[in-house]
Amino acid sequence: MAFNYDKYLRLEKMPTLWCWGCGDGVILKAFVRAVEKMGLNQDDVCVVSGIGCSGRFSSYVDFNTVHTTHGRTVAFATGIKLMHPDKHVICVAGDGDALAIGGNHTIHAARRNIDMTFIIINNFIYGLTNSQTSPTTPQGMWTVTQKVGNIDPTFDACALGIAAGASFVGRESMLDPKKLEKILIKAIEHRGFAYLDILSNCHINLGRKNKMVSAMDNLSWIDSITMPKRKYDTLTEEEQLNIFPTGILKQDTEVREYCDMYKDIQDAHQNKRAKITQDDFAKKI
Amino acid sequence: MGTFKTENPGNAPVWVNTDNCKACDICVSVCPSGVLGMRYDSKSTLGAMISIDNPESCIGCNECELTCPDFAIYVADSKEYKAAGFSFAKLTDESKARQQSIVDNNYMSLDVKGVK
Amino acid sequence: MSDLREVVSSGNHLAAQAGADAGCRFMAGYPITPSSEVIEMMSDLLPAIGGVTIQMEDEIAAVAAAIGAGMAGERTMTATSGPGISLKAENLGLAQMTEVPLVVVNVMRGGPSTGLPTRVSQGDVRQAKNPSHGDYRSITLCAGNLAECYTEVVRAFNLADRFMQPVFVLLDETIGHMHGKAMIPTAEAVKAGVVGRKQFDGAPEDYHPYECESDQPAVLNKMFTGYRYHFTGLHHDKNGFPTEEIETCRKLIQRLEDKVMLHTDELELNEEFMLDDMTGAEGEVLIIAYGSVSLSAKEAIRHLRAAGIKAGLFRPVTLWPAPADSIKKYTDMIKNVLCVELNIRQYTEEVERVSSRLDIEGLYKVNGRPISPYEIVNKVKEVF
Repeated sequence: MAFNYDKYLRLEKMPTLWCWGCGDGVILKAFVRAVEKMGLNQDDVCVVSGIGCSGRFSSYVDFNTVHTTHGRTVAFATGIKLMHPDKHVICVAGDGDALAIGGNHTIHAARRNIDMTFIIINNFIYGLTNSQTSPTTPQGMWTVTQKVGNIDPTFDACALGIAAGASFVGRESMLDPKKLEKILIKAIEHRGFAYLDILSNCHINLGRKNKMVSAMDNLSWIDSITMPKRKYDTLTEEEQLNIFPTGILKQDTEVREYCDMYKDIQDAHQNKRAKITQDDFAKKI
Repeated sequence: MGTFKTENPGNAPVWVNTDNCKACDICVSVCPSGVLGMRYDSKSTLGAMISIDNPESCIGCNECELTCPDFAIYVADSKEYKAAGFSFAKLTDESKARQQSIVDNNYMSLDVKGVK
Repeated sequence: MSDLREVVSSGNHLAAQAGADAGCRFMAGYPITPSSEVIEMMSDLLPAIGGVTIQMEDEIAAVAAAIGAGMAGERTMTATSGPGISLKAENLGLAQMTEVPLVVVNVMRGGPSTGLPTRVSQGDVRQAKNPSHGDYRSITLCAGNLAECYTEVVRAFNLADRFMQPVFVLLDETIGHMHGKAMIPTAEAVKAGVVGRKQFDGAPEDYHPYECESDQPAVLNKMFTGYRYHFTGLHHDKNGFPTEEIETCRKLIQRLEDKVMLHTDELELNEEFMLDDMTGAEGEVLIIAYGSVSLSAKEAIRHLRAAGIKAGLFRPVTLWPAPADSIKKYTDMIKNVLCVELNIRQYTEEVERVSSRLDIEGLYKVNGRPISPYEIVNKVKEVF
């Protein structure tokens, strides 16, 4: 007997429509393993996805699933979560989905610190629509919209999440599924906005024209640009320029979660507590 | 349509579901002990299919199962396998060398020449 | 009269109160003149009864959060003005396609674009018919007086649950900000009249949310209750999963059309003011108007009748789908027809279409000022 994935998958939808070797499948598997290890009830979990290859994630898993419009994943999820603060809401988006068109929603969901897990599947390209530049596509790479080489500067997705106020920020890649599973468990357990930058390989769109023809070539590249945070911290600034630190980059368990804070608003309106004032907050600006 | 055979068809340490395999080579590339290889298969994606050539060398590290994006390869649960009286192999220099040859052979099984 | 109560309020406040009384427990919005009072009021009303009001980061997020709450199974609402509807368009299409109930209050102001934020217009009527791309049918109600700001929002919630799609309630800025006395149903009467969305109570494996009769809406069970299915904006099969199959796609879109258009009798609501003595005789005048303009039209009709001109008002309350047969009954009978709107011919074109007449007269204003009864009286005397 091996791990029973069948329970969590919509078997009639398989095999997935993702390309051979696409990291999305590995992330899907790690997520399913994480849910099983946490013993979550399938009826208590909602998976919301956006548009893109990552958007198909929600149709493969047997939970309450929603496939929304491009970039708006966390906005829809906010409505679901506020009505059901005790349920598990997991959002899955791509790099273009979460950081380009959905940038504003990403920033504000992080700012609110609303309890959900935001998995950004970052494959450095717009995959589904065939190789357009995304906010994380490295400068100088070939894309269909910049065939003579990409000039657009890139985001550090995790730096954005930290700056926006997410209380849990982490990065892993599908190179190490065991670590990926562990960080998913920690992210789902965390009461607050858990922001994950999960690096994935898109050898079909990004890789093929950028000297990374096979899945393994793409994985080697991801390996060369990632390093666990502890080791990363020992590098010089020059060495750090082309490396992404992996692992949990921020975890704040003290900061209050949005639904919990909204309960205070309900209590104040129902005269169960005094009005909320600046004295209730350490941060006054 | 996937069938996800999570039950072990026999007493193998590792087994595959060929309905789901897309021949991406990832499992072959991560196996430390040369258990796996690709073979030509005119009816499948990319014209190739995963083959378990040396199951006796499987060390039960689970890397192939964890890195397969398509739920196509499974490794026996370590506790259950041992409780049933079986054991995984140990990693040897011979199996490591064989793995290197498979990688050099473009992830094809050693008795298959050429590229996919 | 015990089911009615007299209140002193404004249009926007009544719309918010109606939501709370009709069982709405989630409202997401964004500040925009002249609708901001709706979210302000709801931010006090909903948390007091265990609901949630949230000001999101933009209009798009607001409708997305509202639709999310609707997907979760709650009665949900958003409020905005013309520019906000433009922004919300894509997600409104998602709500149409996934058949999620939602009430959208649009307090209309001068347009297009930034237009005249603090002044009145009825310029979003055509937009309400098709805010988003693709084939679907809009249900749009228009409040023509203070009390209807309350009763139409209540009706909108019931219609949204009955037809499983967004329902627009148009107020114009005049009515939204109008402050006065209104007779509205009591909260108890509203609560007793709530008809929620249908739910399936059989075994989960027998549940197919989008498998329904060709003229019926989807049956969407509340989330987290043991019925797991999929929402998607792609064409989908009976369980909600994406498909491109020829017959399934055809049937789905045709059903979105037929679920509304084959049941317009449940949607139609008109006011026929001083039309019962019309016979089609020479000199009779039919005025067609809605929203705040209808208040001026009624006053104008009183003046006209006092001056010996037999005039009456046909006021559609449900604007879309248009009450084709009812309009045609009067346009067939009465030769002199005047449409009065705070836009350029947006509903007039629909009147022309359903009446098959191209000689409809019109009085239009698009400079943010209301149309006075005096202007209507003069126009009638001028053209007829």
